[in-house]
Amino acid sequence: MGRLRRSRVHNARRDVHRASRTRVRTKDLDQIQLIDLDPKNRAALEAQPIDFDKPGLAQHYCVECAKYYETDTALHSHWRSKVHKRRLKQLKEPAYTIEESERAAGLGREVRRATAVVEVAVEMVDAM
Amino acid sequence: MRIEKCYFCSTNVYPGHGSAFVRNDAKVFRFCTSKCHKNFKMKRNPRKVRWTKAFRKAAGKEMTIDSTIDFEKRRNVPVRYDRELVQTTVKAMKRVGEIKARRERAFYKNRMAASREKQRAHRKKMLEQAKSSVTLHEPLAVEEAESINESKKIKLTVNSKHKSALVPGEGRSMGMDID
Repeated sequence: MGRLRRSRVHNARRDVHRASRTRVRTKDLDQIQLIDLDPKNRAALEAQPIDFDKPGLAQHYCVECAKYYETDTALHSHWRSKVHKRRLKQLKEPAYTIEESERAAGLGREVRRATAVVEVAVEMVDAM
Repeated sequence: MRIEKCYFCSTNVYPGHGSAFVRNDAKVFRFCTSKCHKNFKMKRNPRKVRWTKAFRKAAGKEMTIDSTIDFEKRRNVPVRYDRELVQTTVKAMKRVGEIKARRERAFYKNRMAASREKQRAHRKKMLEQAKSSVTLHEPLAVEEAESINESKKIKLTVNSKHKSALVPGEGRSMGMDID
């Protein structure tokens, strides 16, 4: 295949392990959906005080993607981009949470009632 | 001691097993194996990965609404040890397990009955397609070949009641029939 071989055999996979380090972790979907997209929190995130450590002094923030931009034009072009639209689509369906993983395993959460009734239903009639 | 559930595949995580990840908002993600941990790091959605419990529940492959599922709960109220209570609880657990297994089997049978129809229709369709795509030619008549064929006709009897060792018999035996 000549020179194509080299470029096709190696995917640009060098930084996969670096990208999965905890220090570069970005916000998870459930955090964004359940906390950040709440109107009150969203307003606070969109109007952040000037922070010299953040990109663009933390003035251009995309809430859905949890990402800072340098300028307003960059933010607007991001909103028109595929990455952002894909994220919007992902956020449409309810996020997966720890509670759901427990529910799938058949482990429920007990709802506290006023009177704690300890009753074990031994005589369960099977409806088959 | 508490048996946790894996965040990704929802299996049991016993004490001393698996690993945990604590997010910076103090949420604890438990993992049964490194496989589940790796999948989590890849930011996969367990609802879309076919081998997880979450997928099976979401896709209607397992029972989701049933009274037998509601027994196992995370109870954060300590209960004073009571011999009688433990006894009845253990008894109830066994009984609930039995009922659950029976209902799960019924559910599976029901599900398969629906899918069998679908599969049969699909197979029929494929057969029709195959038939229409192939044009059959009449074989060239050769006298010698015919005579050979006739002489070789032997009736084969295939025992259709052959028992498989893998299918359990009525008495749940592993194919050890006694004459």
